[in-house]
Amino acid sequence: MPDQFRPTTAKPDDFEAYWNRTMEVLDATPIAPEEETMPIRSTEFSTTYGVRFTSIGPYRLFGYLSIPRGQGPFPALVYFTRLQSVVEPLPQGDAIEKQRRFLVFALAARGQRNADKPYAASFPGLFVDGIEDPEAYVMRGIVADCCRAVDYVLTRPEADRGRIVGIGQNEMPLLSAALRDGLTHLVASPSFFYGTMDRAAGTESYPLEEVNEYLRQFPDRRDKVARTVSFFDPLFFAPRITVPSLLWGSENMLGAMVDAMTGTTEVRASEHSRYKDGVYQEEWIARHFGLKDVILPAHWR
Amino acid sequence: MDRIAMENYGTSMVRPDDFDSFWDDVLNTVDRMPLNASVARSPLRSTPDVDVFDVHFDSIDGVRIAGWYCLPTTRTGTLPSILQVPGYIGEPQLPKQQARGGYAVFSVAPRGKLRSNGQFNPGYPGLLTHNIVDRNTYSYRGFYIDAVRAFDFLASREEVDSERIGVTGSSQGGGLTFVVAALRDPRAGAAGAPYLCGFMDAIQLTHTYPYQEIRDYLRLYPEREPSVRETLAYFDGIHFGPRIGCPIIVNVGLRDNICPPETGYAAFRTIASNDKRMYAYDGHAHDAGSVEHSKVISAFFEKHLKNHP
Repeated sequence: MPDQFRPTTAKPDDFEAYWNRTMEVLDATPIAPEEETMPIRSTEFSTTYGVRFTSIGPYRLFGYLSIPRGQGPFPALVYFTRLQSVVEPLPQGDAIEKQRRFLVFALAARGQRNADKPYAASFPGLFVDGIEDPEAYVMRGIVADCCRAVDYVLTRPEADRGRIVGIGQNEMPLLSAALRDGLTHLVASPSFFYGTMDRAAGTESYPLEEVNEYLRQFPDRRDKVARTVSFFDPLFFAPRITVPSLLWGSENMLGAMVDAMTGTTEVRASEHSRYKDGVYQEEWIARHFGLKDVILPAHWR
Repeated sequence: MDRIAMENYGTSMVRPDDFDSFWDDVLNTVDRMPLNASVARSPLRSTPDVDVFDVHFDSIDGVRIAGWYCLPTTRTGTLPSILQVPGYIGEPQLPKQQARGGYAVFSVAPRGKLRSNGQFNPGYPGLLTHNIVDRNTYSYRGFYIDAVRAFDFLASREEVDSERIGVTGSSQGGGLTFVVAALRDPRAGAAGAPYLCGFMDAIQLTHTYPYQEIRDYLRLYPEREPSVRETLAYFDGIHFGPRIGCPIIVNVGLRDNICPPETGYAAFRTIASNDKRMYAYDGHAHDAGSVEHSKVISAFFEKHLKNHP
């Protein structure tokens, strides 16, 4: 068995102060939500809204909110930011019938479509925007945006406070669960902040390749970049994560972080099949939410 | 649905009598337009062994289209090349790895995608239904032509052997592969999990985005269904098949919840080329067995673009 990966990331002395300060700014920023019904995205069993609300900056964000018709509260699915411009009301491939059962919230963080004024992110480009300075790094704002998405869902009386899962194909659910109360479960795929500097050196895949590109251009800034991304390494958030978690990855890769997590954590290796992985994830959520069945797309049944 | 029924699934889409003349007219218009390509090396994105260029060119309706062009820094003579066409919601990739393999590779961002959305930006969701009742202004008329013009860009390059251009992509890229193979004459094509095929069948077979956009639209405007069907018939990948004469491989996932494999089979059956092969991956969804199939694609292009047996 290969040796367990352990990030060489050094925890900054001011790690706690940095995030406490960020959350204080977020707390002091009125969320000021506005919901607008979207008839074209609504169905006979759910109503969809376009939601505008405010995060640190202040910056106006966007999200798609879908609420089942009928008597709530409903278990909630919170979809966090991916590093791409497009956000859909329900992730591509999810059965639309899930909106019959779940309150669904899909966040467009700063820079993504519908939240791209005044800041329109480029891909590639976003991941290293401001990376030489932790205070200016765009991902600080995006982590705050994810936390604000949790805040927003908690304002909705239709959301079942005991069943709110944060889902993302990166570290955002982990960081959000560590920084904000509200998520009861999470599903994450640590990909770009877990040992960023170690892993960037061994890949050409984006967004980590952005770090390589940046350091080829500015080799003298390596220490600054390493310091900035160290504020985002989930290794240092792990002790604060207490909710049941499903992590996609390998034990060898994620073991060091999982050992530091305090909640029940399952690590699951991808079978490189969106069908097999997708069914597993849906069943995991259903099981943890106490649901008797899962709502799957037709070709997965 | 069992495997045999899936393989033989028909289509409710009807190929318009003037399908070919519609596209010939569009091509006649666009072929008179100069590309006016700009090619600027990006020091930031380049590596010691791959030069990356930021490319822009003119397409139909005066829309300026962007793309990433990658070349091996060490090269002699003309290169085989590959056009990469993108999926629906993702951003075009920077194909450095393929360039390192000795290809000139162009990854295009058709209109509406980032860097090509200054003049046209219907959004996501939105692109699939933009002007969907009018074939002459439907979003995909320009979008398809942008992919065709990307092929023209490669063919115009002096470092590229214009007789050895391949085209590939998955999902929307699979559908665009059909379109480019039908409207131009690449040496070979590799289409994965093809989207934009059997539109009106797909919205019955699957209730997921992005096809859900059409269902959303028709729920609000049910009376427009005939117009929608009529428009989409001009853009359906199934109907481009009879114009495809190059060697082509297609891969589908039999559990694909986004682009139903039934529609992939329907498109495959119409392809006129005698050199075509379907790879069906059981137990796979929209990934269409990509981890395994990427090796198939590499060998396929080595054979057809580099003349390796």
